[in-house]
Amino acid sequence: MSRQEELQGILRELRQAVPEITGVMVASTDGLSLATDLPEAEAARAAAMAATALGLGKRIAQTSALGGLEEVVVRGQAGYLVVYAAGDKGVLAVTAPMGANLGLIHLEARSAAAHIAQTLA
Amino acid sequence: MSRSYKLVVSGPVGAGKTTFIQSLSEIPVVETDELATEDIGKEKTTVALDYGLLTLDGVPIHLFGTPGQERFDFMWDVLVEGALGLVLLVAGDQPRDFPKARHILEYLTSRHPVPFVVGVTRQDLPRVWTPEDVADYFGLPQEQVVGMNATSPTSATLALIRILELVTGERWQGVW
Repeated sequence: MSRQEELQGILRELRQAVPEITGVMVASTDGLSLATDLPEAEAARAAAMAATALGLGKRIAQTSALGGLEEVVVRGQAGYLVVYAAGDKGVLAVTAPMGANLGLIHLEARSAAAHIAQTLA
Repeated sequence: MSRSYKLVVSGPVGAGKTTFIQSLSEIPVVETDELATEDIGKEKTTVALDYGLLTLDGVPIHLFGTPGQERFDFMWDVLVEGALGLVLLVAGDQPRDFPKARHILEYLTSRHPVPFVVGVTRQDLPRVWTPEDVADYFGLPQEQVVGMNATSPTSATLALIRILELVTGERWQGVW
C-alpha cells in the first residue's frame, strides 16, 4: 500500500469513527497537502494554515514551558478546527461544527495522528 | 507616549529574512522554522513568523519576518497590520526570484501602503546583482534600494536605518 493510500485509509477511518467531522487533512509541517477530502482549490490554503497554526503553537508551547505541542484548538462561533501534531513531519487538521463532541474528536484524532506519524516516519 | 516602531521583513524564500532579524535582534529570535519537504536550497523554512527586537537610540524596533512561500500569503496580511515600514529582501544572486519579490511587494504595498526599502542581500558574493541594477529592475529610486549582507549586523543596521529614515522622514541622527 502506498503512503498516500495509507493516509487516505487513516482519514477514512477517522471520519467513520466520528461522523460529525466535516473535513480532514494531513499536511507536511512545511504546509503541503499530503491527503485530504477537501476540494483541491481549498487544500493548498488549508495545508499552509494548518502548518502555520502548528508551527506557531509549537513555539508558544516551548516559550510557555508547556512541553511538546500536541494540538491547537480554534473555536469559532460556528465550529472547531483542531490541528494535531503527527510526529515531527506531519499535521492532522480536523473541522467540526459547533455542538460536536470535542472529547470524542480528540480521542479518535489523537490516535489517528499517532498512526499518521508512523506512516510518515 | 513612548515611540516604538513595527517593521515587517519580507521577500522570497532564501532572501535572508530570518538571518537579517537574527543579525539585528537583541533578544533570542522567535522562529517558526520547519523542515522543508521541497527542494528550496536550504533545510528549513519559516511557516508562521520570525520576531526580533532591538533598541536604536532608546527606541524599540519590533521586527516581524514573514514566511517566503506564497502559500503562506495570509501571514503577510496578518504581519503587516500596524507596521510602519517594510524591508523587502531579495537575494542578489537569485535573479529568478525577482518576479516573486515583485509580487510580494505589490501584494503588500497595494493592501497596506507603507514606506519600504528593498535590500539586495549576498553582496559578499562575487557574481551578484548590484543595488543599482535591482533599482532599475523594480523601477525604484536608487535611495530605496540598498545592497547588504544579511549575516552582517553592521550591514543589516545600515538597511534598517534607511527604512527608519523613510518612515520618520528624518535623517537618522543617532549614534550607532
